[in-house]
Amino acid sequence: MAKPEDFLPLKTNWFHILLSLAGEEQHGYGIMQEVFERSGGKLRLWPATLYGTVKRLIDAELIEESDERPAPELDDARRRYYRLTRLGRRVLDAETARLKELVRIVQTKRRLETAR
Amino acid sequence: MKLALWLYRRLARAFPHEFQVIYGADVIQLGEDIVQQIAQQNGITGLFRLVLDLAIRVPMEYLSEMRRDLAYAARTLIKSPGFALVGVLSLGIGIGVASTIFSEIHMLIFRDLPVVRDPQRLVMAQGVSYPYFEEYRKQNLFTGAAALLQGVPFSVSLDAVSGAKAERIFGQIVSPEFFSVFGVPAQRGRVFSPGLDQPGEPPLAVITDRFWRERMNADPNAVGRTLRINGMTATIVGITPKDFLGAMPIIAADLFIPTTAPARLAPELGDDVLHKRDQKPFLVLLRLAPGVTTASAEAALETLTRHLNETSADPADRDRKGKLVRLVPGGMILPIPKEARPILWALWGTLVGLMLTIACMNLANMLLAKAGARRREIAIRLAVGASRFRLIRQLVTESVLLSLAGGICGLIFAFWMTNLVSTMKLPGSTPFQFDIRPDALVLVFTLALSFVTGIGFGLAPAFAATNADVAPTLKEGGVSQMRGYRKFGMRNLLVVYQVAGSLMLLLITGFMVMGYGSIASANASFDTHTMYLLAIDPIRDGYTPDQASAFFEKLPERLRGLPAVDGVSLSSSPPFTQELGASDFAGQSDLRNAAASVSALSRQPVGAGFFAAINEKVLAGREFDDRDQRTDAPPTTALPAILNQTAAKSLFGNENPIGKRITQQPQSYDVVGVVRDLKGPSITPGFQGAIYVPMTRRMLAHPPAGGLTLMIRSNAGPDTIERVRQQIAALDPNITVFNVRTLYQSLDELNAYVRIGTIFYGGLGAFGLILASIGLAGVTAYAVTQRRKEIGIRMALGARKGQVLRLVLREGTALVAAGSVLGFAGAMILARAMSAILNVFATIFHTAASDPKLIVGAPLLLAGLAMLACYLPARRSTEIDPLKALREE
Repeated sequence: MAKPEDFLPLKTNWFHILLSLAGEEQHGYGIMQEVFERSGGKLRLWPATLYGTVKRLIDAELIEESDERPAPELDDARRRYYRLTRLGRRVLDAETARLKELVRIVQTKRRLETAR
Repeated sequence: MKLALWLYRRLARAFPHEFQVIYGADVIQLGEDIVQQIAQQNGITGLFRLVLDLAIRVPMEYLSEMRRDLAYAARTLIKSPGFALVGVLSLGIGIGVASTIFSEIHMLIFRDLPVVRDPQRLVMAQGVSYPYFEEYRKQNLFTGAAALLQGVPFSVSLDAVSGAKAERIFGQIVSPEFFSVFGVPAQRGRVFSPGLDQPGEPPLAVITDRFWRERMNADPNAVGRTLRINGMTATIVGITPKDFLGAMPIIAADLFIPTTAPARLAPELGDDVLHKRDQKPFLVLLRLAPGVTTASAEAALETLTRHLNETSADPADRDRKGKLVRLVPGGMILPIPKEARPILWALWGTLVGLMLTIACMNLANMLLAKAGARRREIAIRLAVGASRFRLIRQLVTESVLLSLAGGICGLIFAFWMTNLVSTMKLPGSTPFQFDIRPDALVLVFTLALSFVTGIGFGLAPAFAATNADVAPTLKEGGVSQMRGYRKFGMRNLLVVYQVAGSLMLLLITGFMVMGYGSIASANASFDTHTMYLLAIDPIRDGYTPDQASAFFEKLPERLRGLPAVDGVSLSSSPPFTQELGASDFAGQSDLRNAAASVSALSRQPVGAGFFAAINEKVLAGREFDDRDQRTDAPPTTALPAILNQTAAKSLFGNENPIGKRITQQPQSYDVVGVVRDLKGPSITPGFQGAIYVPMTRRMLAHPPAGGLTLMIRSNAGPDTIERVRQQIAALDPNITVFNVRTLYQSLDELNAYVRIGTIFYGGLGAFGLILASIGLAGVTAYAVTQRRKEIGIRMALGARKGQVLRLVLREGTALVAAGSVLGFAGAMILARAMSAILNVFATIFHTAASDPKLIVGAPLLLAGLAMLACYLPARRSTEIDPLKALREE
């Protein structure tokens, strides 16, 4: 069984996809839109890149295809939905912790600088 | 936008099959969904990015798939190490041999000389007299011309003081223009030049960088130092650049002496050879002027030579017919004419091709066997949606990986082989040098070869393996998709080929080994271990012919006085070695009017008491004595000669040859004796006519490149050599003794090449045999699994084990029989073909092909082994439990 630490630091695309799936199950289009909006239009996961990354995430067992369909009125039958696996969630947590730690270090340094 | 969408769909369909199946539709769908939005937000650039993204991802997906294929292939190979080992070894040998051969051709035949300026413009003519060379030089076809003698031995000591230890060094005697024609400058000091080097100057020498480093420890003051060369002091004036070893460096030169040197320094320049039109020992090196082709220069020289011949005093020259001048490339390692190159390529190509085919057939067969075993796995993968193309690629990746490993193995093998060839001492006194090292080009060649073999011979089995019906394979446990074994024709064909191929190799190798064994040994009437051979060359130690002659009179007397010495004599070459280069002789018969002319007699100058020394009775007449050796006969007087039986018969038939006269223009001989045919390791077929002539004073003045051979037969063991050395030193401490060995060693040296070849091909034959057996075992094992059900039914119906075994073995037997017959026929045809090309093979095969041991033994051995290989897996058929086999249904 792979350990979450093996995946760190997470590639940007991987991180964004995992982040998009952190809340609820999404289909490809949804992931793409969410990332686009979250980054303020700066990051667009182009379709081939998106599915290439999805494939690798599935191979690495960080996400999986979901068989549960959302409420029928929201369901888009043509699309496949994805969700985080337990490992995927742990990896996302680990990456978040790593980023948090980085931010903390940067802030400490900044504080020292202003104090001087 | 439409165009972008069209492109997008097109590209999306180019994804690898697996990806395509799962995500293809999604990718297209998503593209269609967002294209409108993208066009609005980002315009053309957005659409461009959309398509570009796809264009980048498609090859990336392929790469990642290939990486996984490789990892998978590596795992599969590691899981069956036996299979991998045999495959890698068999390919390694095949590729290694191919690379070695390629290195050889590349290094020897197609490489330009190092250091030399503009080597393509250099041409060379052989066998030219110096006066003719001077005429050639005047032609404005050439911007430079030089004459040289190559492979000239010198006795060299580093210090000019007498008594210093001398070594035998090979060099070239060159006209002063030599270095400027080559465009080779001096690394230190100067090279010869026509302006500076004139006859009558004190002796000078130019040495090579190699000599300077290896013998003078790269002494910075080397230029200006003196060497003692052939008993004379010569000053080193210059050192050539690194890697320059003279013209035709396969006979490497370490020392250059100008043609202006005195004849005492270089005996080859004696007899006024520079002014004699009938002495043609020179190589002429010519640099073609711009615009002149080799052909036009050759034609011009031909006309000139014909013209010169017409004015010649020698009638033989005037009547000379045929092509007189042949220009060969002068700037290459070996002067091989351009026309000959395609033939060489073809010859080597065939050899390489044969080797590789054998190796590849093995690989293909093994892969087929393996693919058979993996049918179930493949069927499952096909069933769950893997594309056939994808599986083929997977299998080919495996074979490519295998062949790449084989290629690396082959490269190591090639390094080892070429190293062996380079360091191998060739028989004969001239130090041939093969500078063969696999270089970058060879590396590329080898890797390319590995790829081609891997793909080429992985493809067919991969196609066969994936060409299965999925459903029955899965249902019946991977055994029944072969309806009868006829369908597996390709694999059977491979087994037949392998059996035939290895039998051919075995037979040919066997012929070589046995045939060679019969010609390799000398028919000496004493133990060749008890004869010691020492080479001495007093002329090159500074003796005049008179002094040398006196020396050779005194020496045998002293040696005969040593304890336990049974015979002492002198010869131009070791006994039982036939000299190459046969000469024409004419014998005058009493009965016939016309003189019988025999063209293939080998002529060997021998000293007094030669036949006594080798314990050989003179059948009729007498042998040479001291008086014959002492003669200083002018060419007009007849010399005595001794014939062997073959020569006597071919010259005089059944007449008594004693007292008859033989002529070899301009010398004539009177036959004084007849001896038995002496035979040693020889590459010429059968007994050859030989004429023995006395070692006269004139001969002593022109010793061969290997010096003169002193023969001492003694039972006193190796101490004899030391005693002989002492005796020689007592006569004159300045005499260099070299190339000391027993006759046995000397004869053995001649065999070295054939022996290595024998070991090599023998190993190959054995390896082929093993591989063929493995192949057969695979086929039988496969047949057994395939017919499990049938066997089960038969056994249930009461068939006995023996009957079942026979049933299974029948197929293997048929294959072995077919292969044996084909291999036998192939070997015979090959033997004929080889005999037709080279006389050596004719003798070898003639002696060996009549040997029942081999003719019957080799096929029996092969068939026995093959049948064993069939039997072992076939035995499993008898262990089939009929109930189980039937229940599997």
